[in-house]
Amino acid sequence: MVALPQTSPIAEAPSGDRQGRARQIRALLLLGLGLAALLSLGWGAADDTRVIGAILSGFGLETGVPVRDTIIVWDIRMPRMLTGVVVGASLAVSGVLLQGLFRNPLADPGLVGVSAGAGFGAVMAIVLGGLLPLALQARLGLSLVPVAAFLGGWASTLVLYRIATRHGRTSVATMLLAGIALAALTGALTGLVVYYATDDQLRDLTFWGMGSLAGASWSKLLAAGPIMVLALLASPFLARGLNGLALGEAAAMHLGFDVQRVKNFAILSVAASVGAAVAITGGIGFVGIVVPHLLRLIQGPDHRSLLPNAALLGAIVLLLADLVSRVVIAPAELPIGIVTAMLGGPFFLWILLRNRNLVEV
Amino acid sequence: MLNAGDINVKLGGTTILQGVDFHARPGELTSIVGPNGSGKTTLLRAMTGEVPFTGEVELNDRNIRSMKPHELAAIRGVLPQATALAFPFTVIEVVRLGLEAGISAGRETLPAMALERVGLAGYEGRFYQDLSGGEKQRVQLARVLAQIWEPVLDGAPRWLFLDEPVSALDIGHQLTVMQLARDYADAGGGVVAVMHDLNLTAMFSDRVTLMTGGQVAASGSAEAVLRDDHLSRAYGVSVHTSVPPPLGGIYILPQAATSPGLKS
Amino acid sequence: MIRRLFIALCAVLLPFGAAAESYPAARRIVSVGGAVTETVYLLGQQHRLIARDTTSVFPPEAQALPDVGYMRRLSAEGVLSVDPDLIIARDTSGPVEVIDLLREASIPVVFTHDSFSAEAVVDNIRVVGRALGTPERAEELARGIEADLAALQRDIGQLSERKRVMFVLSAENGKLNVAGDDTGADGMIRLAGAVNVMAGQYSGYKTVTDEAIIKSAPEVVIMMTGRGEHDGRKDEILSLPAVALTPAAQDGGFVLLDGSALGFGPRTAEAARDLHARIYGQSEH
Repeated sequence: MVALPQTSPIAEAPSGDRQGRARQIRALLLLGLGLAALLSLGWGAADDTRVIGAILSGFGLETGVPVRDTIIVWDIRMPRMLTGVVVGASLAVSGVLLQGLFRNPLADPGLVGVSAGAGFGAVMAIVLGGLLPLALQARLGLSLVPVAAFLGGWASTLVLYRIATRHGRTSVATMLLAGIALAALTGALTGLVVYYATDDQLRDLTFWGMGSLAGASWSKLLAAGPIMVLALLASPFLARGLNGLALGEAAAMHLGFDVQRVKNFAILSVAASVGAAVAITGGIGFVGIVVPHLLRLIQGPDHRSLLPNAALLGAIVLLLADLVSRVVIAPAELPIGIVTAMLGGPFFLWILLRNRNLVEV
Repeated sequence: MLNAGDINVKLGGTTILQGVDFHARPGELTSIVGPNGSGKTTLLRAMTGEVPFTGEVELNDRNIRSMKPHELAAIRGVLPQATALAFPFTVIEVVRLGLEAGISAGRETLPAMALERVGLAGYEGRFYQDLSGGEKQRVQLARVLAQIWEPVLDGAPRWLFLDEPVSALDIGHQLTVMQLARDYADAGGGVVAVMHDLNLTAMFSDRVTLMTGGQVAASGSAEAVLRDDHLSRAYGVSVHTSVPPPLGGIYILPQAATSPGLKS
Repeated sequence: MIRRLFIALCAVLLPFGAAAESYPAARRIVSVGGAVTETVYLLGQQHRLIARDTTSVFPPEAQALPDVGYMRRLSAEGVLSVDPDLIIARDTSGPVEVIDLLREASIPVVFTHDSFSAEAVVDNIRVVGRALGTPERAEELARGIEADLAALQRDIGQLSERKRVMFVLSAENGKLNVAGDDTGADGMIRLAGAVNVMAGQYSGYKTVTDEAIIKSAPEVVIMMTGRGEHDGRKDEILSLPAVALTPAAQDGGFVLLDGSALGFGPRTAEAARDLHARIYGQSEH
């Protein structure tokens, strides 16, 4: 047998069975997520917060911690931590789903139009929200931007999907090309709206684009969380179909998969969960590409173990990035998109350079 | 039985297949031959449901249009010409995908057996993408075998559809793979193979369908179809067939106009 | 849950508590917005400040205070971490969710009203003074500024003719980004007794075409000083093809303005007086 030191630096597997390793990794990731969640609750700009007392007092126990601490733990860190977990998991899992669907390790939600549509929705809401009837403004209030982002993401995905589907078959290639066209169009429309934005609105747009967990709150989490959790819970059912799709659509069909159904579920689940994620945190890049890619190198591309592990690692990465974003220049904080891009970019490059052969498929 | 009647395929306004009838029996290896562009692969793809067609295809007396993908997968496996894998799977992981159809699920020893059958024992941990073209094709064949390992299940034959299964193989492995297909048929399964190599076709097929221009030019036993006149007309070159004594089978040699040898 | 009920109750009751808007006892104050911070210093109450936002850079001593972030992107935990007992902020601060959380944590938030006018400047001084519990000192300061502004208005009344002024925010690649209505620059030009050439045409800062610049015929071009800039800026702008055809280029009407002049805080009267002098003083030679 030819030695393969170059091509299998991480994934040496004489028996070819990487399920055992994937299970070990899952155990590690679960542990890591627990630690990251604790860190996220216990660490912040207000480092004198009495976390344990505050948590207990949330359950009605008399602990004598100040209201400030209770609010920091229960109303700031807790929703923020949970938002980080679901958004991180959703972004990573959506990345896996799309990459599996498009059979391309570099696919991201931009390809199904979610990001462009959501961005357009958010920009419209920020800039033109003031033109809505006052009664509607009052009713939507703070949720105007998230709602608009979610609707924008969904609408553009559905349009793309309709364009790419003929006779009940969705052409992934058409979807990809139409996605580029739609992104250009929404980009232009966004530019047009931005032109009419005031300076303050421009500032808001810039920050929205960089993403942040800072705006996390119970109400946003309760609105968007269930959508993401539902999509996450549904994702394992797509795993085998995505494995089949790795061989191509025809081969997947011959293996017994209802390919069109896999596509339907994957696209709609990504549109819903990324739309919801983008709506409450703005655009956060890199998680959806780096996390799946890294895991594929370590444990192989089998979606049955890739999906749950990506969810865990995505959550961990986002929690840690958020921790960096709120501690590094405390009491102010960096937008998390900057952190993920600054850490993720070079890391991704390093991975690519180390494993050049594995990337060329 | 595999019965395909009046199959028409149009792709982008061009008629690829016109009124094709095709039949194959379990226990036999049926080959489809013909020049490039004659529609033989398209016929196979129509019968496996990969390209839209008009006409009817019945497999084991059921119309394939009325069958769900997993029902079809339970009784037939399809080996494509070439498969580009999207992600870095190992060989054993690829073969295991064959178990996904659910019929063979849980039979964890099948993939290793299938690999051994195609002469790739010990390749389990190799990365698929690092293999040669011929090795890749044999891995895919092992995957298809893992999917429908038993040629007959519950009294019903299963079907192996092979699209140019030996085009990337050396002569040794060509024989291994063709023998494997032959054995599958001999054990009661049905095998339909799109073939390029007429001599291998002659050596292993029970029945042959010769295609030209999207239509069936000839169909029947190998001896009846693989004749000088049929082949010369279909391929547009002078073809000489003979039955050399030591082999006892048909031997086909194309003759170039300027060919110095073979003046019978 | 009991805690939720409690918070809901606080949210209902707080607005009543905050109605007085005066917190003389506050000793841990976060000030958000350059003008607010300046006012706190002028009122001699800086010893009560514990943090500021990124835009609070004057007086320079203020920069020694912890920075809780950009005023429109405050971090709830960041602000809570300095344990404030009062927040004074421009009413364009945010995000709103963060302000809500701060109020939920029983921290009073007093807003000054953002507007590019002389009235807003003096009103805001009174708001800050009242919040700090030093209304007399604030009144004195506000009256002084009012008097300065009134004196400037009298001088402006003497003018036979108002100058036409164009404020250029940036000139990337020769494309001029010019102030329209509803900008600090527009407010400042008016306070200084000049006319913004783009008034009534659009709001905010927009890139305008060369032809619009020629047609608007500014007599003076104003730009802001940035880091490491020098006098070359004047020739650079005035020699741009579009600007070269305007009266400003022919008379050399060019003013470099300090960025802080657009802050609409306590130094506004002074800045308006200075800008007035430079717009009208220059045309003499």
